[in-house]
Amino acid sequence: MNVRVGDEVPPWTMPSVDPARMKTMAAILRDPYPVHWDRAANTRLGLDGRVINQGPLNLGYIVNMLHAWAGAGNVRRLTVSFGRPVLDGDHVTACGRVVALDEEHGERRATCEVRLDRDGETVVSGTAVVRLP
Amino acid sequence: MTVTEQQMLDLVGHRFPGGRYRIEHWENWLLTDCTGAEQLPDGLVHPIALFHVPILGSGTSITKLFELGHADGAGSVGLESYDWEYLEPLREDLEYRIEGAITSVERRTTDEGQVYDALAFTIELFDADDRVVARITNRWRFRRAKP
Repeated sequence: MNVRVGDEVPPWTMPSVDPARMKTMAAILRDPYPVHWDRAANTRLGLDGRVINQGPLNLGYIVNMLHAWAGAGNVRRLTVSFGRPVLDGDHVTACGRVVALDEEHGERRATCEVRLDRDGETVVSGTAVVRLP
Repeated sequence: MTVTEQQMLDLVGHRFPGGRYRIEHWENWLLTDCTGAEQLPDGLVHPIALFHVPILGSGTSITKLFELGHADGAGSVGLESYDWEYLEPLREDLEYRIEGAITSVERRTTDEGQVYDALAFTIELFDADDRVVARITNRWRFRRAKP
């Protein structure tokens, strides 16, 4: 895999964040927090009746981008901060750019700036370290 | 504000009970499907399993963490950051030993005057040979009601 500093990671898009997947995710996580599955509860909280996507799913879109680029099993580190919440129906795109190349533990690794964007606003940002095949 | 800063600081060092976790195929399949991705090859677990597997495997839960942090109802807890390291890819049907603790608490005030506590916990996963295969540090925000 020929990679250079400054290369863009091909973006990965979730066209519409699906509230049904949030319900499944809540069950897997054993997460009783109703903001992820109860629109009525969110209306009472002033959240316009839309449910909030789980943070791990937002990060999952970034992981899917990295997998599509460098292959599954090659993510070595994810360090991210969360901004505004992602809501059901949102169109989000994961993006990345290579900022460093290194050798570590006998592996060639790329450090990438990564982010998740919604309508021109970044809602998750950070860095990822990926083993290059 | 019913929770004092000292009450929160006293949580630092709190160890979770510890335990073991085996990620089964059905669970990984559903987890991967939730992300919108194709299923992964060779029993690889989707990396976002490093959210719930450390929490549940270390013997705690989202509910218990909310209780420890004195969460003030729905909508009062938010994510601040994750730092997840994968020394080895996680695999289905392997049992991991898991242990961790609350590692820091910091009370902060936003420019708008909102007070919140940033609580961080670190959890490690060990393989059958007792080698660390993954490590996470998650930082959550517990927003406090204004007095």
